[in-house]
Amino acid sequence: MDAHPVATKKKKVPDWLNSSLWISAPPPADDRPHSSSPDPPAAPAEPLTRAPVPVPPPSAARKETPPEPEAEEPRDGDGGESRESDGPSAEEISRQSQLLAELSRKVVDMRELRKIASQGIPDGAGIRSTVWKLLLGYLPADRGLWSSELARKRSQYKNFKGELLMNPSEITRRLEECTTCDSELRSETSGILSRSDITHGEHPLSLGNTSVWNKFFQDTEIIEQIDRDVKRTHPDMHFFCGDSSYAESNQEALRTILIIYAKLNPGVRYVQGMNEILALLYYVYRNDPDEENGVSAEADAFFCFVELLSGFRDNFCQQLDNSVVGIRSTISRLSQLLKEYDEELWRHLEITTKVNPQFYAFRWITLLLTQEFNFADSLQIWDTLLSDPDGPQETLLRVCCAMLILVRRRLLAGDFTSNLRLLQNYPPTNISHLLYVANKLRVRGSN
Amino acid sequence: MVLVLALGDLHIPHRAPDLPAKFKSMLVPGKIQHIICTGNLCIKEVHDYLKTLCPDLHITRGEYDEETRYPETKTLTIGQFKLGLCHGHQVIPWGDLDSLAMLQRQLDVDILVTGHTHQFTAYKHEGGVVINPGSATGAYSSITYDVNPSFVLMDIDGLRVVVYVYELIDGEVKVDKIDFKKTTTTTAH
Repeated sequence: MDAHPVATKKKKVPDWLNSSLWISAPPPADDRPHSSSPDPPAAPAEPLTRAPVPVPPPSAARKETPPEPEAEEPRDGDGGESRESDGPSAEEISRQSQLLAELSRKVVDMRELRKIASQGIPDGAGIRSTVWKLLLGYLPADRGLWSSELARKRSQYKNFKGELLMNPSEITRRLEECTTCDSELRSETSGILSRSDITHGEHPLSLGNTSVWNKFFQDTEIIEQIDRDVKRTHPDMHFFCGDSSYAESNQEALRTILIIYAKLNPGVRYVQGMNEILALLYYVYRNDPDEENGVSAEADAFFCFVELLSGFRDNFCQQLDNSVVGIRSTISRLSQLLKEYDEELWRHLEITTKVNPQFYAFRWITLLLTQEFNFADSLQIWDTLLSDPDGPQETLLRVCCAMLILVRRRLLAGDFTSNLRLLQNYPPTNISHLLYVANKLRVRGSN
Repeated sequence: MVLVLALGDLHIPHRAPDLPAKFKSMLVPGKIQHIICTGNLCIKEVHDYLKTLCPDLHITRGEYDEETRYPETKTLTIGQFKLGLCHGHQVIPWGDLDSLAMLQRQLDVDILVTGHTHQFTAYKHEGGVVINPGSATGAYSSITYDVNPSFVLMDIDGLRVVVYVYELIDGEVKVDKIDFKKTTTTTAH
């Protein structure tokens, strides 16, 4: 074993937990035990470039892991096709062909799809876009129904856009055209203009709750906030930010989706952070090589966003914060999970150094880890989150727990400030590795 | 969809202490894009109050305004419409529609907004439309004591204008509207 300063063989900590396998991105000054610990991958801001394959293959690691024959292959270093380094590994290619085979079946076997997808979805050929749509229930399993479903949903979105984005002038005009006939308006050429009654008591300064105008002005505030957040989404990516009309059209799409969501869901409206979740979805769908899919990315992203958020809505609702389903309870479940698997770390974090999980886990959970890792890594994490049969909420908690466990050495050695700083700026790490640990947390019963 | 508030002849503090409470409760900042004021505010405090409702404020000078630097007439373009503003005491006979039409042709505007008579009127002629928003405080005028507080809110949407008339009658706010469209073939003078 390596020289683990804090790893005393206490009864509660299982052996496998102390293996150097779990060390992630030790600080440079530290002595690296030996090459079996995976190197921290360089984390470029470029979206589609994956982390380079770390040099030591898992063969070295396999020696140290306890004989735990996993049905699926352990994640090797890389799940994606990195353009610059060596080409896709054999495993990668086989996964891609497996997925393609699965997707070309007449009726997709969802269980099988989930199993393959949870290992990571390759970047090419628009596979991820289709797989995510299947996983989120946007596309039915029966391939024959795809085109009709898509057409229906896309036209529904178009209707939403038409209805909900009308400004009150137009709305009142439509109301009038129903009630009065049009002709009397334009007939007078000269003379005193006659005053007519307003329809339904609608006028711009109306303060009534049902007034179209009033609602419009109330929505303006939310729309301003959405605007601000959309402009700040991923400023480093040309896809979202920049002077090109492409970037502007993407921002416009994000904005429209969020506005429509806010109008259709008065209970939640818009909460900061939804833009990050949506950005990831929209990016994947927009980059679908299939023309038609790329163009309708906005509609697809809207429905998938609704679906994805339906599981997490309670986290965003402020009134539910302290309830059984709210964010506080979710965070305490994370805490419980950590206590179950690594009591020493839990005790050190929460009791000794008093790092309240709300300080770091809030962002992890509400934003589905989009802010903790670079874009490419987030995509990989989401592959697992969406495909795991346990559901994204449960899987998310396991991944968060794994994140804590991976840096346990540094956490155990740190105090409040350094731990908090570490957790709020989670170091770049090997994602396959992280997901492997998260998966192990499910397989292992409670410690 | 641009909202333009037209009001004037408040005569604060000489003839009225303030806008009616019901009007004030409706006039909240953030809804209106432009304010055009025919004049006779008369003091700076009213100017400041209107400025809080909307930063884009246009005023012409009425004969009792204490601020001497307001212009006599003003023109501005909002959307597809050219609006003209003038207090109206300069146009004699006061409130005479033909004389106002002359002023409108001089200013070359689609909608002319004037005041001074403290009575709401809206009149259409070949040159365009003349609107008098009345007195927002219901102050007495040189002509009559019987004045209902009133003001006007215009919703300019493309080639169409909906003029909402707000009037305080017997303590209740009554809202009416007037609809008109600009034909694209308005003659240029």
